[in-house]
Amino acid sequence: MSLKPLLRKMFLVDLIKGLKVTFNYQPPSEAITEQYPLERPAIFERFRGQPRLNSNPDTGESLCIVCNLCALACPEQLIVVKGERNPVTRRKEPVSWTYDLSRCMFCGLCAEACSTDALELTQDYEMALYSREGMVLDQAALERGQEPVKYEK
Amino acid sequence: MLDAIKGYLNSGTTPGEAGSIFWATIYILVITIGISLAVISMNWLERKILAHMQIRLGPMRVGPHGLLQPFADALKLLIKEDIIPQDADKVVFWSAPVVVTMTAFTTFLVVPFGRTHAVTDMNIGILFMLGISSLGVLGIIMAGWSSNSHYPLMGSLRSSAQMVSYEVAMGLAIVSAVLMTSLQTGTGTLSMIGIVEAQNAQHTWFIFKFFPLGFIAFGVFAIAMVAETNRAPFDLPEAESELVAGFHTEYSGFRWSLFFLAEYAAMLAVSSIAVTLWLGGWMRPFPNWLSGSAWDTAFSLIPALALFVLAGMCLLGTVRMPKIPQFRIQTAGLAIFGALLGFIGLVLLIPAVRVRVQDIFWFVAKVAFFMYLYIWYRGTFPRYRFDQLMRVGWKVLLPVGLAVLIATAIVGLLPQLTSAVLGVL
Repeated sequence: MSLKPLLRKMFLVDLIKGLKVTFNYQPPSEAITEQYPLERPAIFERFRGQPRLNSNPDTGESLCIVCNLCALACPEQLIVVKGERNPVTRRKEPVSWTYDLSRCMFCGLCAEACSTDALELTQDYEMALYSREGMVLDQAALERGQEPVKYEK
Repeated sequence: MLDAIKGYLNSGTTPGEAGSIFWATIYILVITIGISLAVISMNWLERKILAHMQIRLGPMRVGPHGLLQPFADALKLLIKEDIIPQDADKVVFWSAPVVVTMTAFTTFLVVPFGRTHAVTDMNIGILFMLGISSLGVLGIIMAGWSSNSHYPLMGSLRSSAQMVSYEVAMGLAIVSAVLMTSLQTGTGTLSMIGIVEAQNAQHTWFIFKFFPLGFIAFGVFAIAMVAETNRAPFDLPEAESELVAGFHTEYSGFRWSLFFLAEYAAMLAVSSIAVTLWLGGWMRPFPNWLSGSAWDTAFSLIPALALFVLAGMCLLGTVRMPKIPQFRIQTAGLAIFGALLGFIGLVLLIPAVRVRVQDIFWFVAKVAFFMYLYIWYRGTFPRYRFDQLMRVGWKVLLPVGLAVLIATAIVGLLPQLTSAVLGVL
């Protein structure tokens, strides 16, 4: 055995190095735990969460033109859009929208396919529910956005 | 009767030496409560410090910064269902935690928290401590055997093998420290108080005596004591990943908490052995070098100052608390806790209290350092394999301990040896 590793062992060099690492982690400011309900994590811009159907902020009418591209893009085929042409404006308007959140894997292909930026996956992430009811979102729910559900006994 | 009670206060000895049963009882009660409180705070501190070492926050919800977590845990353990396995040996199963706890607490009979702050001063103090704490192995074997289950049995076998083999190295390290008491000044002693007084008389802590001999002996003891108390990195008897929980797998509720109490009490006990033997026991730093009444006063203020610092940290935490209605009670609680610490600090400023308490403070501070080391080791080192554990015990610590013992004897007798050799020449 050469001398250097023996001396390292004798003077516990490696152990002391390890102790130094843990010692330096100690200031509570180093902690990366978040106290979740009180302290909210910073969500990245490209995070894909709760889907939302946007409407024109001035007129309040839906931006969706029922082109059906989102439904075609969806690998789970969980989007079903039906619409009809408004005889006055000559514009196609959605009649029924369903978005089955329970099957969604948040790939974001629907939002990518949307030609009018109507469908968007927002940064909201508190989507857990206590039953399967409410998992299938209709147009109103999609436009409104869902509030987190509180637990009640 | 009353005179006898009062008379002790001026005797300047321990209740055992003074023969005062009343004060001995008081001391035993105070020490028992103190150790239990220390275990409770150790529980919180360990979880908190360990969490911070692992870049976590640790308990934060029960009370401000999780301060009430140990009490919540104790309550949970007390109301938990007490399960005894059907095929367990009931009597042994019942008595095992009692044996473990009793041995862990009995050792504190001879621990000197100060010149007068020990229940008694036995002339075989250190021997008594070692003997009683070795009995703890018996409780662990009883627990493992009576559970009638694989994991506890494996755990207790490991535990007994480990404790028996590390006791040898530990004993050798202790003998070399005891040897130092007999060198240069008068006769040697096994009494815990006598060992500290020998360090005072020789004007050095034994850790610095015959450098590096005292330091190596201390190192051997410091490693052996971690193995002796079954703590990480030598926690094979309770290795969670291998043996579920080792010897206390089948225990639940109050019985389990007795094991917990005993483990931490044993940690405190071996730490106090280390402090007494090598770190000058209750003596303040530099009692001879920085002597004089001015220094005495300055050092006697440190306990109060330490508590003021803690109180200040609590108040700082109060200011930093989130300003949310849900946190109002917690903020108030932390402020009250800080105020309580500050009040204790103020009490410690009273001269009569100050003089009596400062040796306890220095002893506790030194033990606290060891408790921190225990947590630090646990947060850093991975567990040893069993053969590695045995190799460290028998092939490293035992020879080193023997060598240190012989070297200490030779170095201590060097003056006589040289004069004898010169006389012959």
